Amino acid sequence: MIKHHPNSELLEKFADGELPASIAAGIAIHVEMCPVCKVAVAELTEQRSAIHFESSDLEMPMSELNIASMVEEITLSDEIDIAIADKEKSISVKGEEYILPRALTNMAMSKWSSIGHLARARFSIDEEPLRASLLQIQAGGSVPEHTHKGFELTVLVDGHFEDELGIYGPGDFILLDAEHTHSPVTKDGCLCYTVANDAQHFTQGINKLLNPIGSFIY
Amino acid sequence: MGQSIDSMLQNKAQHAKAISMEKEIEHKAIADWLTNVAQKRDKRAFTELFRFFAPKIQRIATSKYGNESLAAEVVQETMTNVWRKAHLFDASKGAPTTWVYTVMRNVSFDLLRKIKSKKEDNLSDDFWPLVESVEEDVKVFEDHLASKEMMACIDKLPDPQKSVVKGFYFMEMSQEQLAEHLDVPLGTIKSRLRLALARLKQHMGEIHD
Ligand SMILES: [Zn+2]
Repeated sequence: MIKHHPNSELLEKFADGELPASIAAGIAIHVEMCPVCKVAVAELTEQRSAIHFESSDLEMPMSELNIASMVEEITLSDEIDIAIADKEKSISVKGEEYILPRALTNMAMSKWSSIGHLARARFSIDEEPLRASLLQIQAGGSVPEHTHKGFELTVLVDGHFEDELGIYGPGDFILLDAEHTHSPVTKDGCLCYTVANDAQHFTQGINKLLNPIGSFIY
Repeated sequence: MGQSIDSMLQNKAQHAKAISMEKEIEHKAIADWLTNVAQKRDKRAFTELFRFFAPKIQRIATSKYGNESLAAEVVQETMTNVWRKAHLFDASKGAPTTWVYTVMRNVSFDLLRKIKSKKEDNLSDDFWPLVESVEEDVKVFEDHLASKEMMACIDKLPDPQKSVVKGFYFMEMSQEQLAEHLDVPLGTIKSRLRLALARLKQHMGEIHD
């Protein structure tokens, strides 16, 4: 059961199409798995369309000539777009097979690189300073304790992990800011979609030496 | 002197009712235009759609982006997609105005991404699918079907939903076959199945929580 959802402000911006692609993808992954937020987004979209499309005061007049020529141009071609509803894409990482969430199927991804129990692939979304990645933590693995200089968004695609704040499962949407410290651990392994806007900062003892790992992971 | 409060309220209620009646008629007309475009490639119906939506889209996009030529591009792209994708509109899933709004939102997202990040990856249809696949939900449920709890949940569904779920899962009939068998439109079968799955999901959530 999904316990962690995007807040209503994020859902609204998502419904309006106003978020950067990396964040929108995270919400889309959640919405695909969460019937509650799916309904919420549908309702928001309906409200917006009612506001914009159901009052004729909100129009910019167009000339008949303009209308006729645009209609002519558009209808010149009789082709239609065949929608391919279920083009599933699966990936294999370190011997584990996953079906990608629909939101990620057409996002260009780098090769996987790995350190210890961690493997990561970066998406080339070109939204600096935002960076989006898929992160696999293999069974028994963990991410050393760290804080976030900026924010860190994690959406669990597969498996579970736990940190000081709780246990998370598939679909959970976890947004952390600079105030939080955490060290996720997974028993059975997991795959996460992550977005961060700054390298993470490792806080404890020997892990300080690992600080470069922060920019590796996120 | 003026009207009593009661009669004012009554007038107001009647007014609101008249407006919602109007909306319904309007939605029906738009839905018919979309159907005619989809089935007959009807240019006159498309012109009506264009007259209704284009000036509104032009205004929304102009106020959002403060740029008239970009707004004109949004109009052009949105209406082109309406022409090319009208067959994807399904009246059982929601208002036709909402469907066109979705098309516009997707077009705007891809267009802005092209301008800002120089990316032409057209991600919008993956983030906000125009075709909702019932199939996704269907798969999830196949794993749970054998359970006793699930059977009990199915038995609690309203009859129309129950017969669709049972036909689909246990008699392995296709949605098209069910439509014919139960003598209702395909859209109705889809929406019954969707509602039933939503309910079952709720029940299963309660059990596992
Ligand atoms: Zn949710």
